[in-house]
Amino acid sequence: MAQMVNERSIKIENLWFAYKSEEYVLKGISLTIDERPTAIVGQNGAGKTTFVKLLKALLKPTKGDIWIFGQNTKDTTAAKLAKTVGLVFQNPSDQIFKSKVLDEVMFGPLNVFKDKHKAYENSLRALEIVGLSDKKEEHPYDLTLSERKLLCLASVLAMEPEVIILDEPTIAQDRYSTKLISEIIQQLVSLRKFVITITHDMDFVLENFSRTIVFTDGVVISDGETEKVLSDDRALEKAHLEVPWLIKLARRIGVNYDEIKNLRV
Amino acid sequence: MKTVSLYVDKDTFVHKLEPVTKLWYAFTSVILSFIFPSIWMGLLFLSISVFLSLVARVLKNMVGFVSAVLVVSLTMLVIQGMFYKENATLVFTIGDLKFYKEGLVHATLLIIRIVNMITAFGLLILTTRPSDMVTNLVQKGLSPKLGYILSSVLQIIPQMLSAASTIIDAQRSRGLETEGNFSQKLKAFFALIGPLVLSSLVEARERAVAIEVRGFGATKRPTFVKLIPETRTDRFVKFIMKFVLVIAVVWRVTLWILK
Amino acid sequence: MDTEVKKIVVENLSYTYPLSKIKALDNVSFSIFPGESVGIIGRNGAGKSTLCLALTGLVPSFFGGKRSGRVLIDGTDVLDIPKEKLVRKIGLVLQNPFSQISGAKMTVFEEVAFGLENVGLERDEILEKVEKILRRLDLWSKRDQNPFELSGGQLQRLAIASVLALEPEILVLDEPTSQLDPQGTTEVFEVLSELKKMGITIILVEHKFEKLVEHVDKLIFLHEGKLIGFSTPEEIFSMREIDEYNVGEPIYTSVCKKLNARKPNGKYPVHFEEAVEVLKGALKRHGTNG
Repeated sequence: MAQMVNERSIKIENLWFAYKSEEYVLKGISLTIDERPTAIVGQNGAGKTTFVKLLKALLKPTKGDIWIFGQNTKDTTAAKLAKTVGLVFQNPSDQIFKSKVLDEVMFGPLNVFKDKHKAYENSLRALEIVGLSDKKEEHPYDLTLSERKLLCLASVLAMEPEVIILDEPTIAQDRYSTKLISEIIQQLVSLRKFVITITHDMDFVLENFSRTIVFTDGVVISDGETEKVLSDDRALEKAHLEVPWLIKLARRIGVNYDEIKNLRV
Repeated sequence: MKTVSLYVDKDTFVHKLEPVTKLWYAFTSVILSFIFPSIWMGLLFLSISVFLSLVARVLKNMVGFVSAVLVVSLTMLVIQGMFYKENATLVFTIGDLKFYKEGLVHATLLIIRIVNMITAFGLLILTTRPSDMVTNLVQKGLSPKLGYILSSVLQIIPQMLSAASTIIDAQRSRGLETEGNFSQKLKAFFALIGPLVLSSLVEARERAVAIEVRGFGATKRPTFVKLIPETRTDRFVKFIMKFVLVIAVVWRVTLWILK
Repeated sequence: MDTEVKKIVVENLSYTYPLSKIKALDNVSFSIFPGESVGIIGRNGAGKSTLCLALTGLVPSFFGGKRSGRVLIDGTDVLDIPKEKLVRKIGLVLQNPFSQISGAKMTVFEEVAFGLENVGLERDEILEKVEKILRRLDLWSKRDQNPFELSGGQLQRLAIASVLALEPEILVLDEPTSQLDPQGTTEVFEVLSELKKMGITIILVEHKFEKLVEHVDKLIFLHEGKLIGFSTPEEIFSMREIDEYNVGEPIYTSVCKKLNARKPNGKYPVHFEEAVEVLKGALKRHGTNG
């Protein structure tokens, strides 16, 4: 199949995936991810993490194809794809190994750009975005867990990928850091980056992501505008998820969600 | 794989023996085969171990263990047969290669000792749950702290392996190539080892806190829920082993003094 | 001071970690009565985890560092209580379900028995207590499974069971649901409700404020090691420092704050149903959002 140039989307065509033969974790997923910030939600074990690893070419489809901006993931490697797709892992301990925050952030860009100066500039900027500029000379393990998660985010931002995937960004974060992450997401969206997240935090999804895809048992049971999807009690119950607080609130008061959605300090 | 263990779960006489009994057997057989420079001692214990592994229905696994040293054994036979420094009596030749009696005997003795060690300890490992082994040792006086370290290592290693695969994924996502020339592989190695060691240390610290709040180390004589019974058979076997060991050592020392 | 009636008394507690110059806890004082449930809130780095460790004596006895002031449980300083008694008075559950398994036991049953083995109880007593707690926490059916096979929520229940087997009257939990999915979170909070009914004193660090306020009587509000407030959730979330320090509040409380919609007593509602009532009135006055 000829590579499609200027194709700004992520196409997933009839994706099936199994770790062990015939035990399918993902069963026939077909969808297209566009510029809308997208949240992928579902219980643990529903297939979300596997899906995201496939997007990142860390795994290859058992059946079907994934096209990232026209590039088939079967024809490339995770490392080569790092320029285009950035994945912020859930657990900072899974990637931190340098003894200085700045060095840690520079690791990715050095691999991708091979230009020390550019890597350095990008890293400083990324640290500023996440609010860790004053800690750049410190040892990563002297930071709090919350700060280490922001460090991992910075490491990915410094590579300037077109697509940024966040795996459970709000776990172990306080409200302030969660707000910061929301701001960063808005910034990225305004720069026309693709932002995708896996999360359990329905309130976080409602606030930041215009599209929500619900996974259960390896299939998509709901996909569309976030407000609609997160108001569908049946689908949410099937996926063992909760209705976001603001939607619950709007219902109980007897108003539309729109009326209260911007009312927060 | 939940633990690093070669234990084969069966219900036999050997399995039911106390771990320490089997440990005594293993030690005695190894020490005796080293004290006596005779092939027959090693062969004796070897046959006992093989017989017991038949009784324990783990003969297949035992064969697996022994075949692991097959290549090394053959190599030793060849090398010692040809180049042992006390070689004098020619036994046979293969083309240009000359094999001498002294070297072959020496190598055989070494091989018997090694295989004997493998079968004796193999019997222990194949028929004893690691956690039972540790519990037994702690009951006999091993420090509970050391016992804990031994037990947890066996389960933690597979955990570290699965952590390693996540770490590899994370670093590949940051553009780390894992294929390629040596310097690339070296770079990859450090990017993998660093987080693995650091996160293992962090987790070890958290685990230490978790067992601390569960009273670990509170007393020197903890209770044991798992019962490892010591039967008359166990006591008998241990007695025999100790007896044989003492006799052997005395005999050997006497011989040495008389020389 | 009547320290006998109170379960926990913290007096002028200050603590600095080894190799650190900043105080992790700065002159904190409060008391907790038996059977109370108290939450701890504050920004990351406020000292919440340190306070949990101080209550169990791990800080300073396990971590080193300098402590001044006192932490009294049932009238005695935790540092003066021998370990085998201390673990039967106060238990601690942390946020990572995986690093709380001892790793030395092959079954759920043995894992829960571990603490009781450590304090040297008689074997029969151990068997009895383990069964009791496993049944109570709905883990009896899993008693022969390897702990590493359990899900996150089940692991946290196991961690709680392992600590409760020692029958402490106080349970401290530091962000126990932080790494769990919604189902696991619900399981843990259900256990906490059970424990409250049993009369256990609970101290809980939690960022999920909406759930937290339904399970605690009071809140401790920390910032940069100092105690800023110790009162009912309503009082605390209405404090100006909550906004000043960007601590956050239940989402519906946030909406109330934006509309300055208060309860008759002048405080912002922190419970969902109360917020609904208050907002119904407020939105009528506010009119439809343009």
